[in-house]
Amino acid sequence: MIPEGMRDVLPAEARQRRAVEAAICRRFEAYGYGELRTPWLEYAETLEIAGDDTLEAGYRLHDQQGREVMVRTDMTVPVARVAAYRYDDAPLPLRFYYVAPSIRPWAPQRSQDGEFVQAGVELIGLSSVAADAECVILLCDALSSLGLTTFTVTLGAVTFQRALVDSLGLNKADRRTLLHAVAERDYPLVESIASNAELDGGALRALWRTLELSGSDDVLGQARKLARNDAMEDAIARLVAVRDFVNEAGYGGALAFDFGLMHDLTYYTGLVFEAYAPGVGLPLATGGRYDRLLRRFDWDVPAVGFALAFERLLEALEEAGAAPPAAATVLEFVGGLEEPARAAELRRAGLAVFALPEGAEGTGRPLLRRHGSSFRLELADGRSVAGGWRDVLRALEIG
Amino acid sequence: MRIGLACDGPSPPQEVVDLLAAAGLPAAALRAAAPPAVLVVGETEWLLAGDADVLRLCAAAALDAAVVGKAPLLEGHYEVSELLDLGVCRDVLVYAAPAEASVARARLRVATRYPRVAARHFDADGRQVDLLTMRSPSLAAALGLVDGVVDLASRIVPTSAVGAEPLVIREEIAACSARLVAGRASRALLGARLGALVEPLRTLVEDA
Repeated sequence: MIPEGMRDVLPAEARQRRAVEAAICRRFEAYGYGELRTPWLEYAETLEIAGDDTLEAGYRLHDQQGREVMVRTDMTVPVARVAAYRYDDAPLPLRFYYVAPSIRPWAPQRSQDGEFVQAGVELIGLSSVAADAECVILLCDALSSLGLTTFTVTLGAVTFQRALVDSLGLNKADRRTLLHAVAERDYPLVESIASNAELDGGALRALWRTLELSGSDDVLGQARKLARNDAMEDAIARLVAVRDFVNEAGYGGALAFDFGLMHDLTYYTGLVFEAYAPGVGLPLATGGRYDRLLRRFDWDVPAVGFALAFERLLEALEEAGAAPPAAATVLEFVGGLEEPARAAELRRAGLAVFALPEGAEGTGRPLLRRHGSSFRLELADGRSVAGGWRDVLRALEIG
Repeated sequence: MRIGLACDGPSPPQEVVDLLAAAGLPAAALRAAAPPAVLVVGETEWLLAGDADVLRLCAAAALDAAVVGKAPLLEGHYEVSELLDLGVCRDVLVYAAPAEASVARARLRVATRYPRVAARHFDADGRQVDLLTMRSPSLAAALGLVDGVVDLASRIVPTSAVGAEPLVIREEIAACSARLVAGRASRALLGARLGALVEPLRTLVEDA
């Protein structure tokens, strides 16, 4: 009935989604982020600018002039495009958020839906640690405000791994392949590059130890021991500073560190982070600093941001018993279709009214039925009231 | 702790069970168990199943960790990371073919349980192959349907069909052994508890 990987969202789930979306938007707006909506279609060359395979593997078509356009596969690049073309004279920083679907080819083995929603923020124009921290704090704030009490945000630094790989003295092609292999956790490829390049055993062991390093604060100490140059020391110092800011904001308990954290996306340049919650195998959110993306749109400003994977977030909320109620309370009004004025009065008072034609079978509770000029109201708690319109209003605590 | 154990045959691999027991895990009950099964021993829940199921459950955070062979990990369908090479159940992923091909084909035809690994192997030096994904690839070779198989050396059945040439190992593709793995969420959420599982095993493996 519908293409593979696509799905319909039915009213109960749609209601949940809307409630969660609204709660997230409130948190984003509380930090001063403004909503951006960008079109479904972008020129393919725009989405190709990030140089990332995942983002380029989208559905492509041609417009009437024969230019190649692509259904967007992610929101970060479109947001960067808008910022670079429309705000390059604006005072910095800029803060944008979005809650929007993107489409990628369906990949069930990787739990990748064809269509998925991301709720994310981009903070543009600040390169400071404090800006990194704001994004982590906002992520923790948003997750907490949704009622998620158990979650972990793992912090990593791609600068640390890059500096480590740089210290190996590989040629350019091997370096690039090795970074890719590390990000993809393709360890046999890492080993084969290492042996072809005749790397010394110590360097390779340091790489393995780094990728395994994950856990709480004590991991930072172990990382310091593995640091082979200033760039690696700086990466750790920056992580410590982010942690301190997040601690101050009261979310320190949610933090962990993972030096094996390398995103598939090749545009990250500093801090990277992911959020996890029990019962969901993949991250609820991923983010990081990407200082070189806007440069590709001829605007050299730093940026940091994250995106919540909306479907996984919903799963986590259900798992934690924190999902918003799926069903709305609706008053069924038999005869309400023929009584638009009275139905309107109830709706003005804030009730949701499901109007049915006279003589119809009502199925739910509460249920209101008209009999000539009198009414019978059956309430959700089992009580029932019979009488005139005023009695109905009184029972419904209206007027 | 929920730990998965991938089983290729009718019982869990004894070398792995021995290692888990030596690391102080309540593994005794595993010796008599047959997959698919869930065994609850105190606070440890063991899950025995085929490697694809174990990996899927691990990636989806239904398992905290798992022991699986290297070959299915090389296929790379699942988002899990390797925590430790346990160094047992050593095997080699190989390309095996009869000494003499029965049919001269323009394009090599290969049966395998690991199509992505096989494709990568042959692509690497530009050889074109048609791949057949099968649970028992040696059967296809015995019946003359394919020119060769990519499988673990221990699983290569020389041949039993009348007149079929026996399979001979031609190329080694990757060294394999049992690996301790965890999903991305376990790595982030379990922290020290995962460390408490890994460290005794690491000590054993490094001393071995």
